[in-house]
Amino acid sequence: MAKARPIQGLDVQAPTGNNARIIAKVRLEEMYQWERYVDSPSHERELHNLRIGAKRLRYTLEIFEDVLPEACKPFVQELERIQEELGALHDSDVMIALLQYRLSSSEGGAIYKEALAEAKQQHEQFELPPELLTNLLDPAAAPTAEQRRGLEQLLLKQQQRREEQITTFRRHWHQLQARDFRSELLSILDT
Amino acid sequence: MQEQSSSPPMRAAIDIGSNTIHIVVARCKPDDLDIVEDQLELVRIGESVTTTGVISPEKCDATVATLRKFEALARQHNAEPILVVATEAIRQAHNSQQFLEHIQHQTGLLVHLISGTAEATLTFYGATYEVSREPASPKRLGVMDLGGGSIELVTAKNLRIDWRISLPIGSGWLHDRYLSTNPPTLDDLAVAQTFLQTYLAGIRIKWQSSTLIVTGGSANSLLLLARRAFRLDPTSSKLTYDDLMHCEGLMAALTAEEISQRYGQPLARARILPAGALIIRTVMSRLNLGEISVSPHGIREGVLLAYERFGENWLERVNEEDSTSNHYENTSIQQALHPYEPISRRSGSEVDVGRDTYPPDRVPLSSPASVQPAFIDTGKRMLEDRVDKLLAWTSEVLKHEDIEAVHKMRVATRRLRATLDAFESCCEPKQFKKTYRHIKKIADLLGDARDTDVMLQGLHVRLEQAPAEERAGIQWLIQRLDVYRQQKQKALEDFFAKLDQKALRKQVTSCIQEEVSHHGKSQTHPGT
Repeated sequence: MAKARPIQGLDVQAPTGNNARIIAKVRLEEMYQWERYVDSPSHERELHNLRIGAKRLRYTLEIFEDVLPEACKPFVQELERIQEELGALHDSDVMIALLQYRLSSSEGGAIYKEALAEAKQQHEQFELPPELLTNLLDPAAAPTAEQRRGLEQLLLKQQQRREEQITTFRRHWHQLQARDFRSELLSILDT
Repeated sequence: MQEQSSSPPMRAAIDIGSNTIHIVVARCKPDDLDIVEDQLELVRIGESVTTTGVISPEKCDATVATLRKFEALARQHNAEPILVVATEAIRQAHNSQQFLEHIQHQTGLLVHLISGTAEATLTFYGATYEVSREPASPKRLGVMDLGGGSIELVTAKNLRIDWRISLPIGSGWLHDRYLSTNPPTLDDLAVAQTFLQTYLAGIRIKWQSSTLIVTGGSANSLLLLARRAFRLDPTSSKLTYDDLMHCEGLMAALTAEEISQRYGQPLARARILPAGALIIRTVMSRLNLGEISVSPHGIREGVLLAYERFGENWLERVNEEDSTSNHYENTSIQQALHPYEPISRRSGSEVDVGRDTYPPDRVPLSSPASVQPAFIDTGKRMLEDRVDKLLAWTSEVLKHEDIEAVHKMRVATRRLRATLDAFESCCEPKQFKKTYRHIKKIADLLGDARDTDVMLQGLHVRLEQAPAEERAGIQWLIQRLDVYRQQKQKALEDFFAKLDQKALRKQVTSCIQEEVSHHGKSQTHPGT
């Protein structure tokens, strides 16, 4: 995700609380720009961006805790939960991608190089560390047939686990929308 | 009984404080104490001084009775001499001279009425003597003695005091002024907190440490309360900001009587404990500290060590040490009661200039933003704090013993970046970009290591539960990830070996510059 959006309209000589409210509102909007992907489980990158948006909003509420209304605290807890749920989902996505690369690659030669190139390209949008790929796809340390079967089992389970994780997150997100999380926080920031 | 030449001499020290009268009897060496008795009575002399300005006859009688009991205790151990000091409440009482003469007449004990500076020095001796014997004692540290009537705050470099301040606000004093309902109401707590925040914001504290040792009865009682109520590690003397928040929550929900019964606190202590917690937490917030260490030792131990080091002239020597220091600051009770006076009218204390100031009866509590520091000042303080917190993890990360260190340092980079993002408008643009990139690089290195740690942790758990056909695959993956993690550790080591921490700190803290603040004045947000 791109760097956080610079905040316009701050007065550096004004009380910290006034500016903290402006910043928090911008971060809230940044998070919500990814909301439309909540029901699109295959949009790994966008869901990852939603997580980063939640994290930025959470840290903003935390670092300005002393000057923001006390009522913001429960929102920090909700954001932490969202961040954890999406974090677990992202960890699964990384693991699945790594296993898929490993299991689909042949041992060395042009196909190996192609896989690495693809991974590098993928890294631009999905944060797969190329060095890790190089390590896992190293022909000198290729898995045996027994180990490959184990990795296939692991991949299967990880995919099932991801299904559970996305369900848990979406259920939570829709709960928050049912109580109008965004308006609720905005109205507290406006007090 | 004749003292054995091989056995250190037995001495006793008593201090008459605002809340308590406290005795320690110990075998003494100049740098070590073997404590055989440690007792206290909550007499709360400060209660009467705060309300009437004098020590009442009842408090005077209670003091004499306690001193007689303690003198007998010291004699049982053949302690000689019995050194007695009196502190803030007695300093403030209009009848202190009569009070001290009355005690001497009734008990034969000579009470030294010591200055706030001597109190700070003696407390420092007492609170740090155990730390000073540790092989890796922190280069810079601070000691805060939270008493019933005052706070003594000392900073030291290589265990030599280089700055100190005495503030006439203590737990008993704050309780009597603001928190006398039982349990304290949320409104009273909000008023007390606003007072403390505003008062402390106006005092320039020369703080450069991440270690604060807090001593005094309230701090020790809070540690005990937190251990009992929240099952903290009984061997740890650390209290975090959150621990104190939890204690405050508990004490706002339960009466002092319930706190006393459930958690084994003396009732008189339980009454003033909410004030103690609030003071410590507000000081932590002012100093940007996430945790403190609590020491059971303080002024009494300091008196015994000073006597062993300097002999009969111990108090003169302590006072001489104070008078040679250029770094002592004192604030009067009037400043504590009227901390909102214009700075130019104050005397004796170095305080920040340019803050919003308000008379105490006009502090607009309903809009706390109006007593907050300006955004740019908050930014400077936060960036300093965040970069210090980040760098504090370096050695733990390099040890590579606990995977949580990498996680915590990575979180510290995120918080620092979030702070930089928040204060970007106050920063010089080029400096900001350069700094941001530098922090991102650290975050990326830590991120690679941390993500691998998380994967490994998860795989080890799975390995234990996995069926046989899956185990070989998991083991292979663990082995490959271990290799990769070692590479990442090496990358971290190489990076931190080259990193000039001082330069990074300077780079971060100089992002916000004065000329930017002037520039910022012209910016106005729609709300102003």
